[in-house]
Amino acid sequence: MGRIRGSFATGVLVIAALASGTPLSGQGLVGHEASPVAPTTILGFADVNYVETERKVDEGFVLGQLAGHVTSGLTERLTFFGEVSATARPDEYRIEVERLILRYDFNDQFKLSGGRYHTPVSYWNTAFHHGLWLQTSVSRPEMIKFGSRVLPVHFTGLLAEGGFPLTTLGLGYAGGIGNGRGDEIARGGDAGDTNQNRALLATVYSRPASIFGLQAGGALYVDKAPAEGGFDVDEQIYSAHLALTRERPEILAEYARIRHEPDGGGETTDTDAWYLQAAYRLPLPVDAFKPYARIERISVDDDDPLFEPFGLDYKGFLVGVRYDFASLAALKLEYRDERFADVDEREKSLWAQVSFTFGEH
Amino acid sequence: MARGALRRVAVLGAIALATALGARESQAQNAAIAIVTNSRTTANDLSFLELRKIFLGEKQFWDDNSRIILLVRAPVARERDVVLTKIYRMGEAEFQQYWIAKVFRAEVSSKPKIVYSSDMTSELVTVLPGAIGFLPVDEVGPGMKVLRINGKLPGETGYPLQ
Repeated sequence: MGRIRGSFATGVLVIAALASGTPLSGQGLVGHEASPVAPTTILGFADVNYVETERKVDEGFVLGQLAGHVTSGLTERLTFFGEVSATARPDEYRIEVERLILRYDFNDQFKLSGGRYHTPVSYWNTAFHHGLWLQTSVSRPEMIKFGSRVLPVHFTGLLAEGGFPLTTLGLGYAGGIGNGRGDEIARGGDAGDTNQNRALLATVYSRPASIFGLQAGGALYVDKAPAEGGFDVDEQIYSAHLALTRERPEILAEYARIRHEPDGGGETTDTDAWYLQAAYRLPLPVDAFKPYARIERISVDDDDPLFEPFGLDYKGFLVGVRYDFASLAALKLEYRDERFADVDEREKSLWAQVSFTFGEH
Repeated sequence: MARGALRRVAVLGAIALATALGARESQAQNAAIAIVTNSRTTANDLSFLELRKIFLGEKQFWDDNSRIILLVRAPVARERDVVLTKIYRMGEAEFQQYWIAKVFRAEVSSKPKIVYSSDMTSELVTVLPGAIGFLPVDEVGPGMKVLRINGKLPGETGYPLQ
């Protein structure tokens, strides 16, 4: 199997190099080292969890996700990105194509791609994807958790993006058109849009050169989404984020307002969702430890035509510590105090997670 | 007597050779780090900000719209330590995580090409259009271009990678 995969990768590189007219060897160097085409790179992420909780859900050991990511240059400017996950369910493993993107890079300012994305309406959604080892905490914020109905996690369509890295503000942008939410609003319309109205999105961000690790930005998302009652709802999402990704400290904050109005007229409702997470890597000799905390809220209007049937209100607080016991593996211990819409009282949980990455680093 | 003189000459010769080699090694250890590119690259002078954006993978194309191919020396080389400290401002673990995240987010097509010797850097810079790497200045060979950084060449006062 490994030989087949290796042969396939070599074959792709040879074809790509021939297609671009670039020599594969020069002065004794062979293979992808002497090629301007991006080599095929495979990354993997996985996690195993243990949970004790007051919630009425299964406890004990929980196998998380196994996520695989491949990047492969087809020519010097054309690149394929893919991400596939396997998630344990009570009766099966669910295999999901999380991202499938073919992108052509014209220059730094303009890159055009098509496929399935994590919707760039949330910072967390595009910064960590399914790589739990990359994120400090055990899980994603409730507003953008896997399977979230609050924000559309996936987007299938076309995306133009680029940046102006040498400007003082380090500005970047993305704009897209795609299928938006599916009949089940937690899922994207992968097999076609559920209505004749395509979703539109635009996002801008700044990475100022003067403050390393800082990103601030906002996004706008417009769609017509299918409600449980069989009618469509006009949806507008406004979001903003601030991320300081240095280890001392790490601060992540996001806010989103989701505005709904029944198609053809009716009451306009607003849902607000936000989180604030802070972490700090301890100094030597205990720099393998990073304590963290997060507070988050989701407030749904009682008359919201799209969200009301699902009970999405949420209040949560968590504290934890991440221990990087190896350069590519971490143990996280987390205490959560949460209140969900379907119960009247707060519920407490303890989580332990081992997450790691593997592949060609 | 003759044998004793011969032994003294041999010892003195060995000491002189060791001193010379030590001086050369010390010179190499203190040499400035030169930023080198393929000779066809149009750039001659980069600001330090521009250099940093290139090494962070945020600027991926030269001004003539050819793709930048970044070469980074494998761990334990002194020049890698200088580049990580002065350009990236990261430790080894942070550097590794930075590129894993960058590739995973599809912000770059690939991580930097890892090179294992100065000879490999020289060969790849020579053969790959758009390539940029770094070498101790006394190991820069023919067929490549040394870039000015903030208008300064290696060895000049104010050069940022001394």
